[in-house]
Amino acid sequence: MVRLENVGKRYGADAEILHDVSLTLDSGGFYFLTGVSGAGKTTLLKIIYLAETPSRGVVTLFDTDASTADRVTHNSMRRRIGIVFQDFRLVDHLSVRDNVALPLRIAGAPEREIRENVPELLGWMGLEDKLDFRPATLSGGEQQRVAIARAIVRRPDLLIADEPTGNVDDEIAMLLVRVFERINRLGTTVLIATHDVAFARQFSHRRYHLDRGALSTAGEDAEVA
Amino acid sequence: MIAALHFHLPQRLRLDLPLRRDASGRFLPWIIALMVYLAAMGGVGLIWLGDTLRQWDASLASALTLQVPPDISQPRLDMMLGALRQTKGIVSARVLQADETAKLLEPWLGKSVAVSDLPLPHLIDVQIDPSATIDYAALHQQLDTIVPGAQLDNDRHWLVTVREFALRVEGVITAGVLVVTVLIVAIIIFAARIGLAIHRSVIELLHLLGAQDAYIARQFQVHALTLGLRGGVIGAAAAALTIVILGPAGHALELPVPIATYGILDWRVWLLLIAAALAAGGVAMVTARIIVLRQLARMP
Repeated sequence: MVRLENVGKRYGADAEILHDVSLTLDSGGFYFLTGVSGAGKTTLLKIIYLAETPSRGVVTLFDTDASTADRVTHNSMRRRIGIVFQDFRLVDHLSVRDNVALPLRIAGAPEREIRENVPELLGWMGLEDKLDFRPATLSGGEQQRVAIARAIVRRPDLLIADEPTGNVDDEIAMLLVRVFERINRLGTTVLIATHDVAFARQFSHRRYHLDRGALSTAGEDAEVA
Repeated sequence: MIAALHFHLPQRLRLDLPLRRDASGRFLPWIIALMVYLAAMGGVGLIWLGDTLRQWDASLASALTLQVPPDISQPRLDMMLGALRQTKGIVSARVLQADETAKLLEPWLGKSVAVSDLPLPHLIDVQIDPSATIDYAALHQQLDTIVPGAQLDNDRHWLVTVREFALRVEGVITAGVLVVTVLIVAIIIFAARIGLAIHRSVIELLHLLGAQDAYIARQFQVHALTLGLRGGVIGAAAAALTIVILGPAGHALELPVPIATYGILDWRVWLLLIAAALAAGGVAMVTARIIVLRQLARMP
C-alpha cells in the first residue's frame, strides 16, 4: 500500500531532516510511528499523505509512483487517505456536520448519502447532539473526535493520525486506539504517530521508530506483532 | 430550520470557503453596478445613434430637393422636369404647390405671412431609387444648362460627414464598454487573489482531503457569479430608471427615433439591460475560474 525507498528530505540548504527512510505499510496493517518531538515524524507523514515531496528517494502509494504522478492523480490518491491532524484543522465557519461531510462532498457523494451517513457516524463518535455546532464551541476532545470522524467518513484505504494521543489522558488515549483498531478491522491500514514510545508498546502492533531522521526498521524498535 | 435549509443547498452552490464573509462581497457588487450602468447607458447611446442614422439615411437617401429661381418660365420648368424624369434612378419629380411650400416655411415665417406675396423659388421634390447610383455632378451641370442658378440640395455629402462622426462616437462608446469589461476583470482578479490569500489554509486543507483544483475554483466561480449578477442587476436597474426618467425628455424634444419614442418599452433596451447584467456575472465567473485555477496550479 505504501512503500518508501531511501527517502531523504531537506528544506533548502538546511540539514537533512530525514535520511534514507525506507518503510513498507501493508494493506490492512496497523502501525505506530514513534519518535521524540523533532525526530521528523510529521515530515514523514506529510510525505506519505503527499503534502511534501521528498528531496530524494521513491514514494509509492497505492502502487503508483508519487513522483511521476500528475496533480490530478495526487488528489485522487489523497482521497483514499484519511488524516487526523495534530492540530485537527477543522474549518471554523463550518458546522461539525459540514466539517465531517467535507471529504464526501469533495468526492462528489450524493447529498442523500451525506445526510444519512454523517449523523450516523457522529452518533457513533458520541457527537449526535453537536451536529450543528461550530468547532470553536467544542472541547478539545470533542474536536478531536470530529477530526477523526472526518478522517474515516469515506472509509479510507489508509488512515494517518499525527499525535492523536498527545493531549489526552491515558484512558482517552487507550479509547482512541481502540477506535482506530475498530476502523482497522474494517480493512483500513492505520498509521499512528506518537512521541510516547511506552504508550505504543502497550499494543501488539508493528512499530517504526524515528531517531533524528533515521528510521529503525529492525530490532527492538520494529517488533512485529 | 436555517441549518436544515443550508444543508440542502445544491452541492454546486455550496461554499466550503467563507468567501461570502470577505470584504470584497460588500464593495464589489457596487463597483460592478457602476460599470454595468455605464456600459448599459453606452449601449443605449449606441442604439440611439444607430436609430438616428438610419432615420436620416432613409429620408435623405430617397429624396432630394431642387430649387429653381421664381422668375423661370413654365416651358423651362417643364423642360427641367422632363430632364429629371429621364434621368436613370429618379423615380418621380414634381413641383411643390404654393400651399405645400407655405407649409414648409410655416415654422419659420408663421401663419400670418402671405407666402404667395414672397419671391420664393420653385421647389421640386425629386424621389429617387435609394439603390440607384446617380452622378449628381453631371445632373447638376445638365440642369444648370436648362435653368442657370438651379440649386440641387443633395444632403448626401453631409450625411457622409455625419456618418463618419457617428462611427467615431460608436468607437468611443465601444471602447468605453471594453474598458468597463477590463475593469470588471481587473477587480475580480484582485478579489480572487485576496480570497486565495485569506483562505489559503482552508484551500490547503481541501487539497489534502483530495479536492481537485476545479472543486476549489468552482467555489470562487459561484461566489464571483453571485457578486457579478448582483452588481449587474443593480446597474441595469439604475440604467432602466435613468431611461424612464429621460423618457419624457425624449418625448418633449420629439426626437424622431424609436429609442426616444418608446424608451424603456423598446425591446432592445430590455435585451441590452438583461445582457449587461448577465455579461457582468459571466465575465466575473470566467475571470475567477481562470485566475484561481492558475494560482492553484502553483500550490503544492
